[in-house]
Amino acid sequence: MTARIVVGEGSCGLAAGAAAVYDALKEKLAGVDAKLGITGCVGACYLEPIVDVYDGAGALHRCVRVKPEDAGTIAGAVKSGDYASLADIAIQPEDEGFLSKQTRIALRHCGVIDPESIDEYLADDGYQALEKVLKTMTPEQVIEEIKISGLAGRGGAGFPTWFKWNAARQSKGEEKYLICNADEGDPGAFMDRAVIESDPHNLIEGMMIGAYAIGCSEAVVYVRAEYPLAIVRLTEAIKQARERGYLGKNILGTDFSCDIRIKAGAGAFVCGEETALIESLEGNRGMPRLKPPFPAEAGYWHKPSNINNVETWANVSWIINHGGAAFAAMGTENSKGTKVFAVTGKVKRGGLVEIPMGMTLRDVIFGIAGGIRDGRKFKAVQLGGPSGGCIPESLLDTVIDYKSLQATGAIMGSGGMVVMDDSTCMVGIAKFFLDFTTKESCGKCVHCRIGTKRLGEILNRIVSGEGKEGDVELLEELCNTVKAGALCGLGQSAPNPVLTTIRYFRDEYDAHIRDKKCPAKACPALLTYAIDKDKCKGCSACAKKCPVGAISGEVKKPYSIDPAKCIRCGACHNTCRFGAVTVE
Amino acid sequence: MNDIKLTINGKTCSGKAGQTILEIARANGIDIPTLCHDDSVAHYGACGICVVEAEGSPKLLRSCSTLAADGMVINTEGERAVQARKIALELLMSDHDGDCKGPCRLACPAGTNCQAYVKQVALGNTKEAVRIVKERLPLPASIGYVCPHPCEKECRRGLVEEPISIAMIKRFMSVDQLHSADRWKPERAPATGKTVGVIGGGPAGLTAAYYLALKGHDVTLTDAMPQMGGMLRYGIPQYRLPKDVVDAEIAEIAEAGVKMENNVKIGKDISFADYRAKFDAVIVAIGAWSSTPLHCPGEEQQGVYGGIDFLRSVALHDPLPIGRNVAIVGGGNTAMDACRTAVRLGAENVYVIYRRTQSEMPANAEEIEEATEEGVQFKFLTNPAEIIGENGHVTAVKLQVMELGEPDASGRRSPVPVEGKFVTLAVDSVIAAIGQKVDPKGFDLALNKRGIIAADEATFLTDQEGVFAVGDATNKGAGIAIAAIGEASKAADVADSWLKGHIVPYHEPFVSKRTVTAADLADKEKKARVKVTNRPAEERKHDFEPVNDGFSAAEAMEEAKRCLECGCHDYGECSLIKHANRYEIHPERFAGEKRHKDLEQKLAVIERDQGKCILCGLCVRTCDEVAGQGLLGLVGRGFGTVIKPEFRDSERIKVCATCKKCAEACPTGALKIIG
Amino acid sequence: MQTCNHPSVDLTLLEDTLAEYAGVKGSLISILQKTQEIYGYIPIDAVYRISERTGASPAKILGVATFYSQFRFQAVGKYLILLCKGTACYVNGADRILDAVSDELGIGNNETTEDGLFSLSVVACLGCCSLAPVMMINDKTYGSLTPDKARQILRDLRKEAEAQ
Repeated sequence: MTARIVVGEGSCGLAAGAAAVYDALKEKLAGVDAKLGITGCVGACYLEPIVDVYDGAGALHRCVRVKPEDAGTIAGAVKSGDYASLADIAIQPEDEGFLSKQTRIALRHCGVIDPESIDEYLADDGYQALEKVLKTMTPEQVIEEIKISGLAGRGGAGFPTWFKWNAARQSKGEEKYLICNADEGDPGAFMDRAVIESDPHNLIEGMMIGAYAIGCSEAVVYVRAEYPLAIVRLTEAIKQARERGYLGKNILGTDFSCDIRIKAGAGAFVCGEETALIESLEGNRGMPRLKPPFPAEAGYWHKPSNINNVETWANVSWIINHGGAAFAAMGTENSKGTKVFAVTGKVKRGGLVEIPMGMTLRDVIFGIAGGIRDGRKFKAVQLGGPSGGCIPESLLDTVIDYKSLQATGAIMGSGGMVVMDDSTCMVGIAKFFLDFTTKESCGKCVHCRIGTKRLGEILNRIVSGEGKEGDVELLEELCNTVKAGALCGLGQSAPNPVLTTIRYFRDEYDAHIRDKKCPAKACPALLTYAIDKDKCKGCSACAKKCPVGAISGEVKKPYSIDPAKCIRCGACHNTCRFGAVTVE
Repeated sequence: MNDIKLTINGKTCSGKAGQTILEIARANGIDIPTLCHDDSVAHYGACGICVVEAEGSPKLLRSCSTLAADGMVINTEGERAVQARKIALELLMSDHDGDCKGPCRLACPAGTNCQAYVKQVALGNTKEAVRIVKERLPLPASIGYVCPHPCEKECRRGLVEEPISIAMIKRFMSVDQLHSADRWKPERAPATGKTVGVIGGGPAGLTAAYYLALKGHDVTLTDAMPQMGGMLRYGIPQYRLPKDVVDAEIAEIAEAGVKMENNVKIGKDISFADYRAKFDAVIVAIGAWSSTPLHCPGEEQQGVYGGIDFLRSVALHDPLPIGRNVAIVGGGNTAMDACRTAVRLGAENVYVIYRRTQSEMPANAEEIEEATEEGVQFKFLTNPAEIIGENGHVTAVKLQVMELGEPDASGRRSPVPVEGKFVTLAVDSVIAAIGQKVDPKGFDLALNKRGIIAADEATFLTDQEGVFAVGDATNKGAGIAIAAIGEASKAADVADSWLKGHIVPYHEPFVSKRTVTAADLADKEKKARVKVTNRPAEERKHDFEPVNDGFSAAEAMEEAKRCLECGCHDYGECSLIKHANRYEIHPERFAGEKRHKDLEQKLAVIERDQGKCILCGLCVRTCDEVAGQGLLGLVGRGFGTVIKPEFRDSERIKVCATCKKCAEACPTGALKIIG
Repeated sequence: MQTCNHPSVDLTLLEDTLAEYAGVKGSLISILQKTQEIYGYIPIDAVYRISERTGASPAKILGVATFYSQFRFQAVGKYLILLCKGTACYVNGADRILDAVSDELGIGNNETTEDGLFSLSVVACLGCCSLAPVMMINDKTYGSLTPDKARQILRDLRKEAEAQ
C-alpha cells in the first residue's frame, strides 16, 4: 500500500505555516511513491503545523510543529521506511493524551478526512444517516430520536433541539426555513469554524436531516465573514453534495427536496442572536426583534424557521446512525452527549477539546490541556465569552453541564474556555468584555446601548486608579438592571463578566479602588517601575529602550527611572536581563 | 375577537385578545410611560421604559408589544419595573445633551421664562411677553428697573460677545403694556371661600397676594406703611424706579382681587394672634427694615444714619439732614443708592467708604460707574474706626487703612487692618449701608440662630400651623427683590395646596443642562449689545428723574433678536423630561461620555439636534411606515449610532417641507419645525 | 460618515452584480459585499446606484452598511491588517502587539499610512485563539506574535512592496 502524507490545513494550521510545509513536501516527495493530501483541523492547535504520515501498513506517525525544512526528513522516512528517523518531530506521549482523552462525535472527522473530498466523507459512513432517515423514518420518528438523545442547542442557550424542531414542524405554513447559525462570534470560540473547515459534509447531512424532520425546502448557512476558508470549503462541499444527489431536488430519489445557500455575515457579534441573524439574512441592520413571536412561528421572511448552530448540527448524523440512546448514555442527568470546548489562554496545550458532559473543569484544564504554562498559577477560567463569567480555582471541580455551570454565574455558552493565570487582572478582563459588548451592542435598546457604555466607563476608571468607594455597588445595580431591561440576549448577558468577577474577585476590585493597586500588576496606571540598585549592572539597555527618556544613569552604575516621565509601558521591564526592573 | 380579563395594579381590566398590555392599561385609565412607542408604527421595544411585572414571570415584559393574556396579573409600578425604568431614564439623561431651560431662566431666582418673553419682544408682541413674565413675576416693570439681573450674568450670548439686556427688555415691554388699554389681564379662578392674610406689602407680599388671589382665595394684604410697595417704594430712590410705575403695578394687583389695608402694624394696631385668627392662612412677608449698626465708637451721635432709614426719609419727602460732606459706609447697592441720593440732595462731597477694593464690591458695575460719573469719591481699603463729633454731632470719621489678605471661604480676599495707619475725613454725616436686619417683634414665630424667622425650605411653613413666611424676613435674611418674589410665588403654590387640604411641598424639578464653552459658539455671528444712553451726569445729578429712558421699541426688538434661544422649544411637551421628573432620577451618577453633541443638521423645515436624540427611532419609522418616504436612517451601531437623512433628490425635500411627521413624532426636542 | 468628496467611481463595474441580484429579496448585504470587493470600499455613488436599482432608499442602504464592521467608506491600503483583540489574544498580550504595529506604522486603528501601503483595523476575534496573539493581513494569518515579530512582518511586507 502506498504511504499517505496528510497536512493539517485548517486555519490554525495555515496560520502556523502549513501551506509552506505542504509546498515543501510536494517538492521533496516528487518521484516518491506516496500520496500527499490535506485534512482539516485535529484540534491540537498548539502543535500546528501537523503532518500525519501513514505508512504502507496504514500505521500513523504523527509529526508536529513541522517546518518546511523538515520535508526532507519526512520524504526520507517514507522512501526508506525508517519512520524512527522522524523522532525529532514526532508527537510526544503527553501530547497524544490531549487527543486520546477526548470523546469525539461532532469533531469525529476533523483532522482525519480530507474536507474537500466527498468520497472520503462517504468512505467514513457519510450520508448514511440521511439515507436512513429519508428511506426508513417519518419526520416524527426523527424528532423522537433527537428527543431521546437529549441533544440541546450547543450555541449557548442549551434549549432542547427536538422541541425547537417540533415547534417549527407544528407551525402552520407551507414555506419553512432551516437556518444554520455559523456566526461564531464569541471571542475565544472556534469549534464551528473547525467543523466547517474540516468536515463540511457532516454539517450538510445534519441540516438535511433536520430539514426533513421539520419540512423545510430551503436552508441557509449564515457564516461570519472572518472565516473565508470555511466559506470556500462549504461552498465546495455543497456543490459536491448537489452533484451526488444529497442536496437539491428529490434527494436520494425520494420526494424530499431541499437546498442550501450560504450567506456571509458582515461583522456584527449581535447577529449570533437569532432574531438579529434573521434581520441580517433579510438584508437589514442586525437589530434584534421583539420576541414573541419566536422564529418557530414567524422567523425568516416571517415564516416558520428553525435555527441551530453548527456544533448542534454536527451531532445529528451520529445520533441517527448510533441511536439517540447511545448519545444520551453520555453525560449527566440534565446534559447529554459531548461538548466541544476551545481551550485557550495560559494553558500548556490549547486547542479544541470534545468531552462527554459530566467531566470537571479541572479534568479539562489540567487533565487534558496540561495546566498552566510558564510555571505560573491558575487564577480563573472564563466560560461563555462576553455572555459568560469567570470561575475561580475554588470551583474547578464543578461538573460540566448546563445547570452546574449556570449555578456559578457563568454559562456553558458556545464553549470558549479562556484560562487565565495570576498575571491577568480580573477587573481588566471585565473591562475587556464590556468594551467588547459596548462595541458590539446594536444600539437599539437603552439598557444595552448606554448601560454597557457606562459599565465600561466605571470599570475604566477603576483600572485607571480613579475608582470611588461605592463603584462596585453602582456596577452591581446597573448590571442587574441591564440584565432585566435589555431587549436581547446580548444585553441581558453582557453584565455577567462583571458580576462574576465581583462575586469571586471582589478583593481585586477593592485593591484597585482603595489601595490603588493592581494585584496582577496588569493595569499600567497603577504600576510603579523602579530599578533595583543591587541588581542593576548599568548596561543601559533599558534606557535605550525607554520611549520617553525616563531612564538615566551612567554606564556601569545603577540607572534610575524618573516616575514623573515614566509612561508605564513596561519596555524596561521586558528588556532587562538581570531582573533589576521592579514593578509594584 | 374574544374578551379577556386581566388584573393591572389590582384593578380588573378587560380587553380583547390580540391587544397589548399597554393598550388595555391605557383603555382602563392606567398610564404606563413609554418613549419609543406610537400606535401609528410597528412595535419597536427600544426604550425599555414601558416594562411591567407579570405574576409568575421572572422577566420584565415590554408592555408596548407583549400581548395580554386572559388572567394575567400585571404590576406596572412594581419595584423591579420602576428600577429598570428609572435607570433607563437615568442612562438616557446621562447621554442627553440639551438645555431644558436656558441658563437665564435657571439663573433667575423666580424662574421667569426670560427666553420666552425676550422672544415675544423680538416678535413685537409685548402683550404676550408680559403674560409670560407674569406667570412668575407680577411686578415686571418695577423689577425691570431695579433688578441686578443674575440672568444676564449667565446669558450664553456673553460667551459670544455680551449678554442680552434682559432687564432692560423687561422694563421696556412692561412699561409699554402698563398703560395700554389692550393689556393682558389675568383670569381669576372661581372663589374657594378660603381667606388669606398677607403681612407686608413689599415685593414678596404683593407676589404671594397676587397669585393666591388668582387661585380664587379671598386675600387681604396688610402693611404698616402708608402705601404699598415696601422697599420698592421706600428703599429704592425715585431716579432708579419712578413711583408711578410702582403705583400702576400695585393697582393691577388690586385689580386682580387683592384687598389692601395700610397703616396697620402687627403688634401695635392688632396682635399677631388676632390677625391670625381672622384668616384660614397667613403669609408673613415683613422684610428686613432695620439697618445693621457700624459697631464703632461714636456711632450714637447725631448725623449717623442707617442707609435704608435715610432712603426711606427721602421717599417720604422728609429727608434726614446730611450736611455738605457725607460719608456712606458699604459697597452694596444700598450704599450706591444712598450716595447717589446724597449727591442729588446737594451734598458737596460724598464719600463711599469700603474696606476692600472696587473689584470686590457687591454693587452692580453700572451703579458704581454712574456714581463715579456723578462725583462720588470712593475711599477703598478703609474702614470706620471711630466717629468723631462735637457736641454730640458728627464732625469727622477716623478710618483704619486696610489691605487685602488671604482669600476667605467665599473666595474673596479678606481685608486686614494695616497696623497703626489711619486717616481722618471731615464729614457732617455718616450713613451706614452695610446690611439690613429683620425686626420680628410681635410675631411670636420661631427664629433661627441669626434672629430671622425660620421657615421650612420646601413648604415655607413656620412653626405655626397655616402660617407661611417668605422673603427678606426669613431664613437667609435680606436678598434681592427677585429672590423674595421667587419664594413668594412658590409659597403661593404650596399655601394653595395646603388650603385645599393636601400640602404639596416645593420640589426643584430635574432639568437637563448642557455644558457650553465659547469654542462651541465660535460660529455665531457677533452682534453688539444695544446700548442705552444715560443722561449726562452733570444734568442728572441735580434731579430725581430716571437716569435714562430705556429702550425704544425698535431697540428692544433689535436687542431681543440677539437671543440664542438656548432653552429647549419642547420643554413643555417633552416626554423624556416628564418621565424623568415622575421617577425622580439622578443621572449624574452615570455621568460619562456623551455622543456627538456637535451634530446639528437641517432637513428642509426641520432642525435636528442630535444631542437631544434618544434613538427611539420614531422619526425613522414614521418616515418609512407613515410617510412612506424612507429618507431617514440609523447610521452606525451601538452607542455611537446617529440618525441621518440621506437623499439627493430635490423633489424629496419638498415632501419634507410639508410632511413634518417625523418632528411631530419626536418625543423630545431633537427635531424642531422651523418653517 | 466619511462618504463625501471621493473621486467619482466607474459605476459600470457594478452592473453585473446588480443584474445577478435583481429581484432577489434580502440581498442588500451580499450586494454591498460585492461592491466592496470591486472598489475596495463602499463609494457613496455606488450607494445611490444600488438604491436606483433595488428600490431601497439610500438612507436604508447606508444604515445597513454602517451597521456592519466589514464595510468601509474610504479606500484602504495595499495591506489591510486585521489585528485580533479576542479574549485569548487579549490575555496573551494583544495590546502590546497593537502598540508595536501602531508605532511601526505611525497609524492608529482604522487609519491608513500616508504611502497608502498599510491600513490597520482592530477586530473582535479571528478564531485562531490557540495561536494568540494573532493578526491577519490580506487573508493570511500570522500567529504567536511578539512585538518584534510583528514589526518584522511589516518590514518584510514593506520591502516586498518596494521591490515590486
